[in-house]
Amino acid sequence: MEALSLRDDMSDKTAVAGQNTLQLIAFSIGEQTYGVEITTVREIRAWNGATPLPNTREFVRGVINLRGTIVPIFDLRARFGDGQTSPTKNHVVVVMSVGDKWVGILVDAVSDILTVNRDDIHNVPEGNSIDTELLNGIVTHDSRMVGLIDLHAVVSGAKMDG
Amino acid sequence: MSDLDDFKATYFDECSELLTELEEQFAVIEEGERGADRLNAVFRAIHSIKGGAGAFGFTALVGFAHAYETLLDYVRDGRIELTDDVVVLCIRANDIVADHVNAAQTGEALPADYGAEEKARFDALARGETASDSVEEDELDGEMVEEFDLDFTPVMVNLDAPKPTGEAPVEDVFDDAPMMAAEGQWEIRFTPHRALYARANDPLLLFRELAALGKMNVRAILSDVPPLSDFEPFGVYCTWEITLVAPGLGEDAIREVFEFVEGDCDIIIAQAGTVPGLVSDESEMAADVSAEAATDEPDLSSLLALTEEEVAAPVEPVVPPAAFAPEPPAAEIGPQDSFDEAPADLSFAALAAEIAPAPAPAPKVDKPAPVAASAPVAKPAVPTGGGESEEGTGRSVGVQSIRVDLDKVDRVVNMVGELVITQSMLTQQMDETLRARYTELVRGLEVLAQTTRGLQDSVMAIRAQPVKSVFSRMPRLARELATKTGKKIKLETIGENTEIDKTVIEQLSDPLTHMIRNSADHGIESPEKRLAAGKPESGTIRLSAEQAGGNILIIVEDDGAGINRERVLGLARDKGIVAPDITPTDEQIDQLIFAPGFSTAEAVSDISGRGVGMDVVLSNIKKIGGSVHVRSWPGRGTRMTLRLPLTLAVLDVMLVKVGGGPYVVPLSSIVETMQCSRAAFERVPSGGRVLQVRGEYVQVIDLAQRFELSSQQNPDDQFVVLCEAEGNQKVALVVDDIIGQQQVVIKSLEENFESVDGIAGGTILGDGNVALIVDVQGLRTSPIHQNAA
Repeated sequence: MEALSLRDDMSDKTAVAGQNTLQLIAFSIGEQTYGVEITTVREIRAWNGATPLPNTREFVRGVINLRGTIVPIFDLRARFGDGQTSPTKNHVVVVMSVGDKWVGILVDAVSDILTVNRDDIHNVPEGNSIDTELLNGIVTHDSRMVGLIDLHAVVSGAKMDG
Repeated sequence: MSDLDDFKATYFDECSELLTELEEQFAVIEEGERGADRLNAVFRAIHSIKGGAGAFGFTALVGFAHAYETLLDYVRDGRIELTDDVVVLCIRANDIVADHVNAAQTGEALPADYGAEEKARFDALARGETASDSVEEDELDGEMVEEFDLDFTPVMVNLDAPKPTGEAPVEDVFDDAPMMAAEGQWEIRFTPHRALYARANDPLLLFRELAALGKMNVRAILSDVPPLSDFEPFGVYCTWEITLVAPGLGEDAIREVFEFVEGDCDIIIAQAGTVPGLVSDESEMAADVSAEAATDEPDLSSLLALTEEEVAAPVEPVVPPAAFAPEPPAAEIGPQDSFDEAPADLSFAALAAEIAPAPAPAPKVDKPAPVAASAPVAKPAVPTGGGESEEGTGRSVGVQSIRVDLDKVDRVVNMVGELVITQSMLTQQMDETLRARYTELVRGLEVLAQTTRGLQDSVMAIRAQPVKSVFSRMPRLARELATKTGKKIKLETIGENTEIDKTVIEQLSDPLTHMIRNSADHGIESPEKRLAAGKPESGTIRLSAEQAGGNILIIVEDDGAGINRERVLGLARDKGIVAPDITPTDEQIDQLIFAPGFSTAEAVSDISGRGVGMDVVLSNIKKIGGSVHVRSWPGRGTRMTLRLPLTLAVLDVMLVKVGGGPYVVPLSSIVETMQCSRAAFERVPSGGRVLQVRGEYVQVIDLAQRFELSSQQNPDDQFVVLCEAEGNQKVALVVDDIIGQQQVVIKSLEENFESVDGIAGGTILGDGNVALIVDVQGLRTSPIHQNAA
């Protein structure tokens, strides 16, 4: 069912995707949906464990072997301060490129590909610094809020003393 | 366009090789060996650099290299004595050439007058030594730098032209002629072959060198110049005859001038004095010359008759602009021609006959035309570049090599790395039952293991390079530091032929630079202080490389004041690197100079101890799986040791289990493994634990605790891996289990993440999972940092 809706979106939206639009991969953590720009996504794979890294923050789940390269995995739920995810085989790692590095983000599920208008991106309400730090903006899709993840912010400060 | 870029890249590659060679040659020359071979090698190197630079239009580099080359030329032919001062100047000049090359490569602009001072000194030297005919030399020098290369139109213009500086050419010939009859008069017939020009040699250079030996008169023989219709663009039609008056000059000295073109030309050298006929003929000839010269017009016409009118036409226009030929061309051509035709041209004719079979004579009358037509600077240099590279290959006979893109080698290395691991994984799959059942398979696996090992060694050898390529950059650094700090510094290098993986070598340059700078800045004392301390005035920095097992040790040692531990510790406390309640040992204090945050910019000016960017050293070396250790003896010096892996591709490791997960410990650091109970660990006041191993107490590091994992092992049944860190310091790593030995390919954590304390990197095991490599040295030294955090 999920896959079907995904394909539908692809077929009719890519055609109209113009300069002023943005395609997002949407994924969920609990009830909440977040998105990252589709061009940064390299690969989506099922959770298959990771080798924990000592002396790092709890949101660093460890490293995995991605075809011979070592890629760190960040637990997005833990990054948002909601405690570590207890991953199962159904959890998903979204591998993305941030600058010249590849990182994986552990999320509950990948839900959709969205096409949004750049003009429809709202600012993150001031108030909680975690929100403004980790989100680039907010868009509305199907009358639900989708937070745009700031990847650079998510992967920074991974070291214990950092 | 991209072709040109390729050529440029090759040129810069060559430049760096040539600059390295220059360093090497001068290292020997500096020690007093001043053979002609060395000078020639230096000359060739500079000449090659200049040649390519001309081709690419790096005018600043060409200008400087040319002035330098001229100096070398003078030194080579003995006009300037190679004193220590000159050597120092040359070494400085090498540095400037290197800077120019670098500037050309990076596209940065150097100050316009960069190297001007040295250039002026070259000229001064040249002038000083040739005071007798300084006017002429000056003239030459001035032109050489700017115009020589550009305008040289090797028309058969006789070289007498520049000498008499155009005032009274004819008289000059007269003046010279009687003198020629005197003793020490040499007759030289010089017939270049086409190859000489193809190698971008230039008769003018040779003549100028000759001119430096004594009074010279040059005549071009144009009798072989064909009619224009038969003119071949690259043909060689001109021969020169030179009369050189230089009392006391040996034939060797003349031969030496032609040393570089030997084989590319025919040279006949005869002493006029020794051949009676020659002298008289010569003087007769001279008379002829004067007679002919007096009547230039008819002379010219006779030339024209001899050759073809068309020839004269292209020749003439080229002559006047030539910077060194201010006189009317006819006047010169006259005498040559007359000489040619002189019935009495016996000696040369006879001599020439002997070597006649060689094709040859005559000039580049052709060449000047294209030269003049195109960009002045670039033109003469183009053939130079080509010629030199030929020379280069000629030199390296015996060692055949190809340039291969490093990426290609790396791809092979990576694949071999994976192959080795797959192979060891396969071997591990063989259990006893399988072994018994499939003997053929076992044998096959054994052969596979051997072959993979061989393949791996061979591939590694491809990437291995002598550390010389890095070491050779250091003398220059030491010189610059000596100048900057006003200290006397001697740099000794040992073991520069030790080979290390190229990737390691590349990472070595920065750390070594920092370490040597540090030694010079903070280690070596000022000459006065040294003398006061009863040490030799000049400090010594010794840079050495040696192989020790699977490691390469690079040691930077100085005989300076040693680390000022009080100040280092004080500063470290101020910066919060060391907590106030901790008293590190002397050795630990020494290591503090590498602590991140210790060597900030303020620290440089604040302390008389050490710490110029030394954390860069540590991080660079850690990145390539190495470690740094420093040891200091107050008042006697400091020794910094870099321990580097021989290769980065494959590492022999011990696979251990900590907190349920696999970790690997580099086998090179393991001394032994043992099993013991936690009860055997004794407590020391800092809260740490120690273990007695055969009468020696060693620091205990519980990996599970350090990595914040829960040990799943019965405390009475613990495994201990005894490791040796830098400075022969042992550490006992407590692990849950020892799985076995294995080879792994090191993967960087920093590629996609960042460095992690206590972890030197990662690797991928046979099952596809990642295992982390334990950084033994890092674990041992980190408690101080941790307590501060």
